Amino acid sequence: MYIITAIIVPVLLGKRWAGIGFIILSIILLLSGKVLKKTLPLLGVSSFVLLTVLIIQGLFWSGNTTPLFNIGPAVFYKEGLNFAFGILVNVINILLSFCVLILTTKPSDMIENFVRKGFSPRFGYVFISVFQIIPQMTETMSTITDAQRSRGMETEGKLWVRIKAFIPLISPVIMSSLINTKERALALEVRGFNSKKKRTFLNEQVKTGADIYIQIALLLCIIAALIWRIIIWLK
Amino acid sequence: MAKIVIENLKYKYPGMNKLALNDISFTIEPGEFIGIIGRNESGKSSLCQAIAGLIPNFYKGAYGGRVFIDNMEVKKVAVEDLCETVGIVFQNPFNQVTGSKLTVYEEISFGLENMGIPREDMIKRIDDAMELLDISKYRDRYPFDLSGGQMQRMAIASIIAMKPEVILLDEPTSQLDPQGREEVFQAVQKLSKQGITIIMVEHNMEKIAAYSDRVVLLDDGKLIDIDIPQKIFSRDDLGEYGVEAPVYTQICRKLGIKNKSGYYPIALEETKNLLNSISKSMGKVIDQKGEM
Repeated sequence: MYIITAIIVPVLLGKRWAGIGFIILSIILLLSGKVLKKTLPLLGVSSFVLLTVLIIQGLFWSGNTTPLFNIGPAVFYKEGLNFAFGILVNVINILLSFCVLILTTKPSDMIENFVRKGFSPRFGYVFISVFQIIPQMTETMSTITDAQRSRGMETEGKLWVRIKAFIPLISPVIMSSLINTKERALALEVRGFNSKKKRTFLNEQVKTGADIYIQIALLLCIIAALIWRIIIWLK
Repeated sequence: MAKIVIENLKYKYPGMNKLALNDISFTIEPGEFIGIIGRNESGKSSLCQAIAGLIPNFYKGAYGGRVFIDNMEVKKVAVEDLCETVGIVFQNPFNQVTGSKLTVYEEISFGLENMGIPREDMIKRIDDAMELLDISKYRDRYPFDLSGGQMQRMAIASIIAMKPEVILLDEPTSQLDPQGREEVFQAVQKLSKQGITIIMVEHNMEKIAAYSDRVVLLDDGKLIDIDIPQKIFSRDDLGEYGVEAPVYTQICRKLGIKNKSGYYPIALEETKNLLNSISKSMGKVIDQKGEM
């Protein structure tokens, strides 16, 4: 819900300050959840992309007319930078608002709530199990790497050596995970995974008053932005 | 309680030329502890899966004959409904972890959530199951971080919590260390005492001999024999079916010691008593000789 609001409102308002406002809000929320640190690598990676966007647009955007400054022979234009800055704000906004959801909520809780709301339990299962089964597969992978290495296979060194090592490494991983998948499917089956009965949940749904107020407030935000947009349109 | 009736069961896996199960018929009374033995590929696991309804509902292939559980024909009941009556535990504890739950406690709730058990009832059942398998102390641990024995007990607990009347265990201890194996056996014995029908595939003959009420001997998909363990392990042709009798039986066979009903003993206690009584009577003979 927060994501939707954070993305829709600035788009509707079409103003940059709204985007910046939501970025600040996201940062505050992340800070209060003590997970801001975890967003740093994410931002680090995306900042590289964004920086390229900034440079390219600053140099070559089609509407460039007013030179702002130049580094050596490269001339940066005001309009291009402005446009790039808009993209930047949007991207960071989207990233951070997703971070708010993902880093502050346990994945299983999140999916469980989706399933409660009528989301298919099968898809729910796929999403949750990915978080747990991928690490297991990575572990298998490292066991297999060690095993193959102990048989004298070279797994490190030049690119060509690594490429050659790839197939004997990856094929046992795929085979074993296929077998595991069959067994896991059986295990799920005998625990009534396909049951058509109405599911119940071990964890109680905690719905405090604040939850509802926040949802209403966010909804109002969207509606307000929508109305504002329509008014501008009509003018 | 559930009575299991198997009538002329035949099954062939898709793409295979040989019957995995060939004309098997027998009946299991409620509350019995049945051990299934036989060499590898003799159809032990297939038989288990046929009773649990995974054959023919999950696996395709040629199927013949009928399996009834409490007058319910497994072929006609979906696995998800049948699993409320019949629970099955597989060999590899690792692959039985659903991978969608973060704690042991939640992991056990998985089947119950699917069955739509009300929350209060669910909590009670989970607590009971954990208590029974002695894993209450791990309730907040991450399922993948448990040892093999603990994980297997968790797998059994999650089946127990669903309160089936029959539990099938397909080599539940083959991938465990001796301590884990002992833990699982203790747990299974507790279940058996509660009157749950237990059907267990196991390679450890001493354990099978000690716990089973009756033993099913399979070879090449055929039912060779079903009888009390003493009788099965006293068969002279046991070696032909790739089965080795418990050590006690082997010793007594070599010594030619049989118990009153004419079978070789299968457990430590019985062997000890028999040997004691023999040595006593031997002692008498020696004494008499001494007097002479």
